[in-house]
Amino acid sequence: MKAEGMRLAGEKEGTRQEVGWLCAYTPVELIEAAGLRPVRIFGDGADSDEANSLLHPATCPYLRACLAAGQRGSEPRALVFANSCDGMRRLHDAWKHFLGPDFCFLLDLPRRVDRAGVGIFHQDLLRLRDALESFAGRAITPDSLRQAVGDWERARRELRASADGLDGVERVRRSIALQEKGLSWSLPVHSGEGAGESGVPVVVTGNILRADGLLALMQEAGCRLVGADICSGDRFFQDLGIREAALEGLDVDAIIARLAEAYLARIPCARMSDGSRRHVHVLETVRTNGARGVIYVSIKFCDSFIYDFPRLRAALDAASIPVLMLESDYSDQHEGQLLTRIEAFLEILRENAPAGRMC
Amino acid sequence: MGLVEDLAEKFKNDFSPELLRSRLFWRTARRLARSRWNKPDWQADVVSLSYFLAKTQQAFLGQGTVVWANLLFPPELLHAAGACPFYPEMASAVVASLGLSPRFLDEAASAGFTRDTCSFHRTALGAASGGFYPAPAMMLSASYPCDSASHTFHYLAEKLGSEYIGFDVPAHPEPASLEILAGQFQEAALRLGERTGRRESQVTENLRGALVLSNRARALLLDVEEMRRARPCPLSGRELPGQLSMITAAFGTEEAVQFYRMLRDQMAERMQSPDAGDADGERARLLWMHLRPYYPNGLSDWLEERGARVVCDEFALCTWEEMDLDEPYLSLARKVAGHFLVGPADRRARAMAAAARDYQVDGAVHFNHWGCRQSCAGAPLVRSRLAEAGIPTLILEGDCVDEREYQEGQLRTRLEGFLESL
Repeated sequence: MKAEGMRLAGEKEGTRQEVGWLCAYTPVELIEAAGLRPVRIFGDGADSDEANSLLHPATCPYLRACLAAGQRGSEPRALVFANSCDGMRRLHDAWKHFLGPDFCFLLDLPRRVDRAGVGIFHQDLLRLRDALESFAGRAITPDSLRQAVGDWERARRELRASADGLDGVERVRRSIALQEKGLSWSLPVHSGEGAGESGVPVVVTGNILRADGLLALMQEAGCRLVGADICSGDRFFQDLGIREAALEGLDVDAIIARLAEAYLARIPCARMSDGSRRHVHVLETVRTNGARGVIYVSIKFCDSFIYDFPRLRAALDAASIPVLMLESDYSDQHEGQLLTRIEAFLEILRENAPAGRMC
Repeated sequence: MGLVEDLAEKFKNDFSPELLRSRLFWRTARRLARSRWNKPDWQADVVSLSYFLAKTQQAFLGQGTVVWANLLFPPELLHAAGACPFYPEMASAVVASLGLSPRFLDEAASAGFTRDTCSFHRTALGAASGGFYPAPAMMLSASYPCDSASHTFHYLAEKLGSEYIGFDVPAHPEPASLEILAGQFQEAALRLGERTGRRESQVTENLRGALVLSNRARALLLDVEEMRRARPCPLSGRELPGQLSMITAAFGTEEAVQFYRMLRDQMAERMQSPDAGDADGERARLLWMHLRPYYPNGLSDWLEERGARVVCDEFALCTWEEMDLDEPYLSLARKVAGHFLVGPADRRARAMAAAARDYQVDGAVHFNHWGCRQSCAGAPLVRSRLAEAGIPTLILEGDCVDEREYQEGQLRTRLEGFLESL
């Protein structure tokens, strides 16, 4: 991958304090507008044992990997956690209590996306605004917030354009780079090499995956990933649907209200009350991209996706779309076993078997 | 095998959705509850048992609008609307106590729910899918104490074709967010009223009446708490099976008032009695966090035999202020959002440290129910806060519902060592 390319917002790396974030519902625009640098943290899935004393081992391995990285001091000293699940909330609690960061904020995240849900999210974004201003020592102004919204919308749009036609692994790699590095990341120039026509077209859906683990394994097994509906992948590409010009004349509170609405309107995570909207999205992605099947990947101990699977499977069964369920421990160390299961699934898809499933 | 075991075994084999919907079954159950075979130590438990039998019978026989709710949904609202409440999580505990949970856990597993999730909810999924729980007209769940309830309700609502409403409880109970939660409850009152044939104004008026009863029960609960702080404690944790159910489901009814009045009065009698025992008999006063196994087991008796008495149960505590009749929905919002299980774990940890001091406990036990993320993942922080208060904590791993995961020997060994260290 070429490292040369367009710098997304002309930002110099390392000049602003980093604020770590973990959930795709975190409005990076607010952090940006406070003059801070939002960076998503991912931890190291292969190195999370030391977190076990602070967070029960039957907790999401992504969260434990992040905590372990925090214990090693390799993550930012300022963090915004979204209250997206029991595990994430407890990660916030443990981080705040045991690691004593400089800034630690728990952003409430409703499940409902109606007036009540938007209202609660709006209220908590205002609380986040106040906390960030106090931490950064500068006010978030209508101009700074409008510019941050515009910059991030452009970045997502450019990222989407740059990744158009690429295989899912590369799309996720680019998405993660933007999440980790923020607007200072140099967008790689499109090499012109697309996904090609080789491999069995498959849509992957689930929670969070690194590009170099299970996804790479799928590619190695012969998948052509035509969709990556995961929060570290295509879900992050989504446009908020807010144009900078439309925010002219609005005060900070009103812009934040728009952000609250827009974030809750995106393709939802399985934890949301309108999670079935994601099922429709997955079915559409399968149809529009000619995928022959779906691989559902849930991080171990992720209740949101464990409970979601039987519902999505029913929707896929009804549409005669085969599905394979895999569980990831985030380190993806059981490669041999996983590879065998993926290959067997692809075999079925290649044979163009009638509706079936392997899970 | 004795007569009781024979009967239990026959009951297990014949247990079916049809049996639960037969009048004969419920008549027999109520007759047994009134019989001389059922003489609990505490008269209050007779009130509790008879209340829940009546409600469950109504639910199974279709004698009311059945509404499912989770543990933190305010029961006062259901009573005000004239609904017939059903609590699937509590039902899972009953199922476990009858030794029936493995069957439903297996059914949940075959539907795709892995054993990494909470067995209270997996039992509910298996039982409800097989028709063993009463069909709901509506399902209501607050977003606390755990995610699993919302997920379970959502899944079952789709499967059973029921209306589902989830309530977002704010993690930070600030005035604007509490108003929004109050608004959610008011909208629910409207929907409930439509189901039960009551106007919203009527539900609101009934709600004021329910809050009066709830406040009365709360005052009596505070008396009970005060008495449990005494040395020796007149009521141990194993002796109050009805309490958690009453707090969850019956506040806002006459029965809850009656339950706590009888409990308080009998405790007062016991404290005056020559058999009250003395403080020396309490070798260790314990705080118990989360729940205990519900299937038949000897853990509580074993603790008592060693002079270790659970004087404070996390889930039997009063966690809310008296409710204001002039602001009924806001009062419900404050009650729910103010619970220490809502929001950051530090809220719970500080509440546990305060309870440990109030009840003068020597040690605390945190039962890590497998799959309960909100509780297990917060246990190290709770232990840390209790340590700051000078209270040692034992974290026990186990499962409250799945008896196949129970290893009493291992639990006893750990408890034995802990009690010795106290």
